[in-house]
Amino acid sequence: MNFGRDELIKYGLVAILAIAAAFPLVSDSMFLLNLIVLMLISIIFASAWNLLAFSGQGSLGHAAFLGIGAYASTLIAIQSGISPFITIFLGATVAAFIGVLIGLTCVRLKEWFLAMVTFGFAIIVQALTVSVLAPMTGGWDGIASPRLVSPSIPGYQLIEYYAIFVITIASLIAIWYIMKSRLGLAFLAIRENELEARAAGVDPVRYRLIAFAMSSYLAGIAGALQIHHIGYITPELYGVDNSFWPITFVILGGLGTLAGPVIGTIVLTIIWEGLKATGLTFGRYVIVGFILILTIIFLPKGLVNLPERLQVWWKGRGRKGTVAEPQRE
Amino acid sequence: MDDIGIFLQILFWGLYAGCIYILLATGLNLIFGVMKIVNFAHGEFLMIGAYITATVFLLTGINPYVILLLSMLVLIGIGAVVERLCFRPILGTGKLNEIFLSIGLIYIFQNGAAMIWGDAWQSVKSPYDGITIPVGSLNVPIDYVIIIGFTAAILIALFLFLKKTRIGMEMRATSQNRKGAKLIGINVERIDVISFGIGCALAAAAGTLWVVSGQVFNPYMGSIPAVKAFAIIILGGLGSIPGAIIGGLLMGIAENSAAFYLGGVWKDAVSFIILIIVLVVRPTGLFGEKGE
Repeated sequence: MNFGRDELIKYGLVAILAIAAAFPLVSDSMFLLNLIVLMLISIIFASAWNLLAFSGQGSLGHAAFLGIGAYASTLIAIQSGISPFITIFLGATVAAFIGVLIGLTCVRLKEWFLAMVTFGFAIIVQALTVSVLAPMTGGWDGIASPRLVSPSIPGYQLIEYYAIFVITIASLIAIWYIMKSRLGLAFLAIRENELEARAAGVDPVRYRLIAFAMSSYLAGIAGALQIHHIGYITPELYGVDNSFWPITFVILGGLGTLAGPVIGTIVLTIIWEGLKATGLTFGRYVIVGFILILTIIFLPKGLVNLPERLQVWWKGRGRKGTVAEPQRE
Repeated sequence: MDDIGIFLQILFWGLYAGCIYILLATGLNLIFGVMKIVNFAHGEFLMIGAYITATVFLLTGINPYVILLLSMLVLIGIGAVVERLCFRPILGTGKLNEIFLSIGLIYIFQNGAAMIWGDAWQSVKSPYDGITIPVGSLNVPIDYVIIIGFTAAILIALFLFLKKTRIGMEMRATSQNRKGAKLIGINVERIDVISFGIGCALAAAAGTLWVVSGQVFNPYMGSIPAVKAFAIIILGGLGSIPGAIIGGLLMGIAENSAAFYLGGVWKDAVSFIILIIVLVVRPTGLFGEKGE
């Protein structure tokens, strides 16, 4: 019984990562390499969002932290000439700091107030970027951002690929460690029952803010990596699309699990690119919307839960009423 | 124009923009009150309502204020289907789930509309375009006056419906105590469908008024007004319809002042700045008695 889910997912994750690590050795397609890089960055971003959701907080404006990390890193790199390898962490620190400030407005309120405030915050930051901060950020036109690895170095694409790969793995290990630690337990306790968590001596406000700091830090890293990979930054980064993607990835993969964001991102990216080949434009988003809704209704724990669900279904076929209906309030 | 003239002008724009927010926010309040669900896709119903009105108007030339009724009826149907297929299966599984589901709905409605109507910004001209009536020192387009009148009429009709009819009373009972309503024999699931339908119809009315005022619209117009409408019902206090009206008007005026004095990019941002300030200073909303 215990074999199956956990083991399967663990080996699956390792296999996926091994494929990603070995990929440049077997293929020299720049298109696929670029796609995998963006996918790895999406995995970091989705995992960052997932970490926040793990503590019971749903953000609808995580693009704000993606963008803040990216802009801060770019501006620091341009102004000081420090290597982007260092500024991504500085940019992420700025994102984390602002994340805590935003978290502070909502930690004591109902969970869905936060969704609204974060959504609005992405719009506020975008407005700031194109108006007050325009002399620095270039306004709507954006500015060039230093590449992570200078294109003058031979094989820079491969170096960049492995650098981003290593950062992704490091982020996943960090998240895994957080989820397993006392900190993760505290997040879980708050999410499941705030009152009981409080009774057990867990301070919800403090731990929510910690989750917020970690999540916006990782989102900032993802944003900075993306921008230093592409080499250009515009305020579009703050767009609603960028806020919604990680949610879709995580829900499809499995909310609150380590493997969920990874699996969700990979599966959806493959579907997305596959649909592109059929020439659909708006239709692709419609299909993503259906996938999201069907997942929420029929597979609430995401693809990670699929093997278990299939197992239950396989054992229970022929018998009636073995699969318990989800309880209603 | 002198300063007072500009101020009056902004006040009037705000009043008119506020009308659209009030209709959206009242619909959301109704749905939230009865079902306790958070539907961020509510703005998509506004968008669909806007497109139905614009399409029928362009095809037939019927007065758009008459099409308002058709648009509302269609949206009652769409709302009922969405409630039945999407929200009922996840009722009671948590607010976050509802928010995630509404993101799926946003994807479907926005891009479905873009497939049908294209994603370009459009606008239509009201049959009364260009007719103005003088109010003090400024000339007010007659459409704005009609819009304000329609909003008031719809709100009064809704108020009477909730107070006087049996279904209205059942809706209020369900919103006060769902279990209790069930115990006295109210079919709460039917009430859910009706409330969701009416909420969507109000959004359709808002969309129609958006179109006839000559504002531009495209398939992606709905998501920001929807979140703003939520901000408004929080400003006004959850479940309070007078709160939503005052909140909507304040938001409309604040936005238009910001757009005028600070520039267009601040139009959307200012409402969320207000929301954040209110949440920090007074989390129960300006007129709310207690938090949800």
